[in-house]
Amino acid sequence: MADGATAVELVAFAVAKAGSADSEWEDCTGYDPGDPRTGRPARLVVVDGATEAYDAIHWAGQLVDSFLAPDGRAPTLDPAGLDAWFGRQQQLWAGAPRAFASVFEEHKFHESGSFATFLGCELRGLGGPDPRWVAAAIGDAVLFQERDGRIVAQFPGLGVEDFGVTPEGVSTQPTQRTRMRSALRTQDGALQVGDHLLLATDALAEWVVRASRDGDARWRELTSIDHPQVFRDLVDRLRGADDVRNDDVTLLRAHVTPAEAGVLVICR
Amino acid sequence: MNPSYNTHPSYNQAPVFSRQTPGCIVLLVDRSDSMGQPWAGAEGLTLAQGAARAINKVLFQLCVKSTKEAGKPLRPYFYIGVYGYGLCPRTGLEGVESALPGALAQRAIVPLPELADSPIDVRSDPSADVMPRRSRMPVWYEPAHGFRTPMCAAMALAGSHVAEWARAFPRSLPPIVINMTDGLVTDSPYQGVDLAGWAARLTSIRTDLGQTVLLNVFLSASPAPITAFPARVRDLPEPAPELFAISSELPETMVRNARAERIELEPGARGFVFNADLAMLVKFLEIGTRYEVRDG
Repeated sequence: MADGATAVELVAFAVAKAGSADSEWEDCTGYDPGDPRTGRPARLVVVDGATEAYDAIHWAGQLVDSFLAPDGRAPTLDPAGLDAWFGRQQQLWAGAPRAFASVFEEHKFHESGSFATFLGCELRGLGGPDPRWVAAAIGDAVLFQERDGRIVAQFPGLGVEDFGVTPEGVSTQPTQRTRMRSALRTQDGALQVGDHLLLATDALAEWVVRASRDGDARWRELTSIDHPQVFRDLVDRLRGADDVRNDDVTLLRAHVTPAEAGVLVICR
Repeated sequence: MNPSYNTHPSYNQAPVFSRQTPGCIVLLVDRSDSMGQPWAGAEGLTLAQGAARAINKVLFQLCVKSTKEAGKPLRPYFYIGVYGYGLCPRTGLEGVESALPGALAQRAIVPLPELADSPIDVRSDPSADVMPRRSRMPVWYEPAHGFRTPMCAAMALAGSHVAEWARAFPRSLPPIVINMTDGLVTDSPYQGVDLAGWAARLTSIRTDLGQTVLLNVFLSASPAPITAFPARVRDLPEPAPELFAISSELPETMVRNARAERIELEPGARGFVFNADLAMLVKFLEIGTRYEVRDG
């Protein structure tokens, strides 16, 4: 690797809602390390399936799998590419063979379908000296860029008051495409060695926004946690103090390093 | 938030139902003789038939809300009781009885998944507004009418079961009781207590999070001006003042639900509708039962 080359270390943590089994975790996350030799960028994604949606676990999983697909199914990270990808995902969802267990399930599938917030990110220029992140989002999953103990970028730029209302998201319903186009946001930024990107679903993101606003330095623990039990303990403490509401919590962290990339570990 | 609406702080602070803290929704349905009248503007339905359609629709919606994973059973976010007063089809006499289907009637208030599995029938539903795409509608409640209007006895019987439920689920949000009637109460006083007294006993039942919420809707067979969720009653005939007086102030979530239906509310709006047509009854039931469900 050339001098000044960069790489990333990645780790993901997840905790299901208190009172729910781990198998009922309705967020989803994943990572593709990319291939600097061929120029394929790294990709990170977090998705939060809506609690009242139909079969949100599978919809969130479908979005993550497709976003990371190495076979050309993944979208380009621009509004037109993502809009087309949303359409393909809706068609895939609608066309999948299904056997409904009840008239309620059948009704919910057809009338309201599924729904998830989405935050996808691409890391370009890894392997070189000037890496960048490019991200797209619908809803209230948030990317934070940390540098030297400060948040230097936040995307989307939500305030504390923007969480807890019905978020925008990626719907299985073709009738929602226009709304999704309007709600889609994109942003990019430069990366430096030592930076952390923290991709968090809404409950944790809301706390980070509030903590950083209020000078509560505990959010910085998210840049150094290295064990799932430590993360779970932190979430338990935050929930116990009513600092974080009881929702699925997911954190995907990327650390820009001068070294060879680490591997993805999803810790639950 | 307007502080005038904070009469049910528990509903305002944590308006969700979960498997650990399920909700309790109890429907009281007038089955008196007058419910056999044709309901103006209701596609040839009687009041009893229209009420049955609205009840089955709201139960269906709760079942849909409780459906999450493909191929899995419904989640027990709700417990349901349905009581009819007037004609009791099981005995053919006047009185009050559970109107849940089959053996569920013996238990009075049951988990919604059990009710979902026990419809009387699954029929094609002719109402396009109910199910625009899929027309298969389970039926749990059948219309009936006859005799007078023993509303006090209905609140007494429902209250005893609601109290049992509240003892079993002290951490839940308090029960919601919705009374549908077209007439004047005929059994007041009942066991020495008038309708206001039975309603007060019912709404005094509480969980750790607050008191039972009582909503009332008066159905009008003929076209008449509808009064929806008033904060005071002026110049309305009987039984509007009495039903208004026993109705709870709307919790914040129901205020939001009503406003989402473009109903304008004054501070202190009560859970009461006078001269409801079928469309308003459906709306009333949705406003009273549309709560977020979330586990944990």
